[in-house]
Amino acid sequence: MNAVSDIAPPPQVDLELRGIAKNFGDFVALEAVDLSIERGEFVAIMGPSGCGKTTLLRIVAGLESMSSGRLLLRGQDISALPVHKRSTRLVWQNFALFPHLNVRRNIAFGLTLGRHDKAAVKAKVDEIAELVQLGQFLDRRVSQLSGGQKQRVAIARALVTEPEILLLDEPLSALDAHLRIRMQSEMKRLQQKLGLSFLYVTHNQSEAFSMADRVVVMNKGRIEQFGSPEEIYTRPKTHFVAEFVGSNNIFDGKVVDVRDGLIMVQCADAIISAASGERPPGKGSTVSLVVQADKVRGHPIGVAGENSLSAVLSGREFTGSQVIYYLETTGGGEVKMVAQEPFSQTGRAAINMAMQLYWSPADTVVLRPNIVPGVENMPGRRSYVALGT
Amino acid sequence: MAEAAGGGFSAMKVVGIGVPLVYSLTFFAAPLVFLVVLGFWLVEDFQVVPAFSLENYLDIAQHMFAKSNYALAIVQSLWVSLSTAFFAVLACYPMVLAIVYVAPRSRHRLLLMLAVAPFWSSYVLRLFSWQILLANKGIINSGLAWAGFENLQFHLLYTQIATRIGLIHYLAPILIVVLYVTVANIDRDLIQAARDLGATRWQAFRRVILPMSRTGLLVSASFAAIVSFGDVLSGALLGGGVGSSVLGSVPLFSNMIMSEYASSTNLPRTSALAMILVLVMVLMLAGGAALAERGKVDVG
Repeated sequence: MNAVSDIAPPPQVDLELRGIAKNFGDFVALEAVDLSIERGEFVAIMGPSGCGKTTLLRIVAGLESMSSGRLLLRGQDISALPVHKRSTRLVWQNFALFPHLNVRRNIAFGLTLGRHDKAAVKAKVDEIAELVQLGQFLDRRVSQLSGGQKQRVAIARALVTEPEILLLDEPLSALDAHLRIRMQSEMKRLQQKLGLSFLYVTHNQSEAFSMADRVVVMNKGRIEQFGSPEEIYTRPKTHFVAEFVGSNNIFDGKVVDVRDGLIMVQCADAIISAASGERPPGKGSTVSLVVQADKVRGHPIGVAGENSLSAVLSGREFTGSQVIYYLETTGGGEVKMVAQEPFSQTGRAAINMAMQLYWSPADTVVLRPNIVPGVENMPGRRSYVALGT
Repeated sequence: MAEAAGGGFSAMKVVGIGVPLVYSLTFFAAPLVFLVVLGFWLVEDFQVVPAFSLENYLDIAQHMFAKSNYALAIVQSLWVSLSTAFFAVLACYPMVLAIVYVAPRSRHRLLLMLAVAPFWSSYVLRLFSWQILLANKGIINSGLAWAGFENLQFHLLYTQIATRIGLIHYLAPILIVVLYVTVANIDRDLIQAARDLGATRWQAFRRVILPMSRTGLLVSASFAAIVSFGDVLSGALLGGGVGSSVLGSVPLFSNMIMSEYASSTNLPRTSALAMILVLVMVLMLAGGAALAERGKVDVG
């Protein structure tokens, strides 16, 4: 399974989604989703509740029908295959362990459905239990297990059937914060060891970013962006992604000038400049500018050409390794700034103190309005897509 | 406010424990004690006199295998009530499965109402209807004859089969409600998880739904058996008092007590017979509970 070869083989596609759509009556849960997952890849689907991520996962598992589209698993069309014939396995948010069976029988469930050799089943269950450190719990009842152990049983029960892809539906959300972080690294290690593709649904950004090779950001039944965590963090492609990824500042405005590879945008508080990219928007067009909170700084003083914005400190949040500052601009907009060194000069900043903020135009991402007919084009609400990417 | 909360709590406790206690003392314990005590009393010169005598029980013991043959009646009752329980559950469980897993959720309440509807008609009236249906020249046989099946005639009335039919009709609404609660509470994710792991619909039923229904099935079966064991009316009106079964034309124990109550003047002796009936019921309940408990310990 995890054969390592000197010559990198061409990436094999494990799962391919082609135009998956799903309607519940008039409600469009998914509109033509395309996605391709490579062998051994950890892909996280992230989005707010109701964005269609769980529906998508259940369609892949075969638990939900699709309105249109095709599903290919390792090149084979599985669109018409009933749930019990698919070699996909789902790990459930609430674990869905069988309460009337002990741990061993839970794990063995999928192996004992057809004709089977009892000794072989026992050996397989023992092996997988060792892998997920459940060896001494095999004879326990499910109700005697802790949350983390239950999750391991759920994963073992799926893995023991040797699926071609593992589907995980917010598998850590029922666990407490400490355990969640431990299970994250455990799960990632397991995935790499097995070389198995994971399709992982979550609404938790840090979970997605810390584990996944690539992240899908979904909203209202559509994929907003699909890329590496770094890409999504530093180069959000749409207004929604910029907003959803949490630590971004977004400024809306009109382009007033384009020159020297920069565009100048008149925003509520100041003229902000950004790298224009290959296809700069024309003068007068409406754009949104995105800058990450950790790219904004209060000191050292900005150099010529850098963006500068005056604001008043309105709140501060100490998170241990960093401090998040909430500032209010003269126009009433909110700006977030993240500083790594809490005990620096800015760290002792007092509430209501006037500050000058600086950041480079190179760190400013330009999004232009994306006018597509659809639910997001409600009056007063626009969606934006990134330029030149 | 704090005083009200503290004082109110203990007052609530007294009411909460007191009311059910008084209720069960009045309507369960007192009549039972009366029955137990009466069983030890005697009849002298057609008068019931208080005593502490085992005479009634000794007399019954002498008639266990002779004359009245109580033992045979108890066996007949056990056979009829246990088989009734079996067939009642066998009839109701698939109905409940259909309500829960086939019907849309929005229709569950309506379907349950329909299933329970017969309960609102009189038990005696229902038994009379079955008499009309099951009689030798009744609706079923006449209908068969009219349709040309003159050779296909059932002689069901005044057999223990008719007794069972009446009992199942009586029990079905209650069993459906009990079983519905059990089956509807099975987490659907578990069924989907079984399917996801490769189980066919049938395997998901066999490996998940059925074992998880176990307690509900045992509870409803024990309930059906106990009610059937104590019931008099179906055995009298449909079974004809001495309805035939594979054991022969033997009355049910409950029918025997009933006729002794009607004909004999020895109420203490009838009480002693009734005590034996209660005792067998308790044993049945214990048996059902033991089976349910064993299912819990045995993990699969």
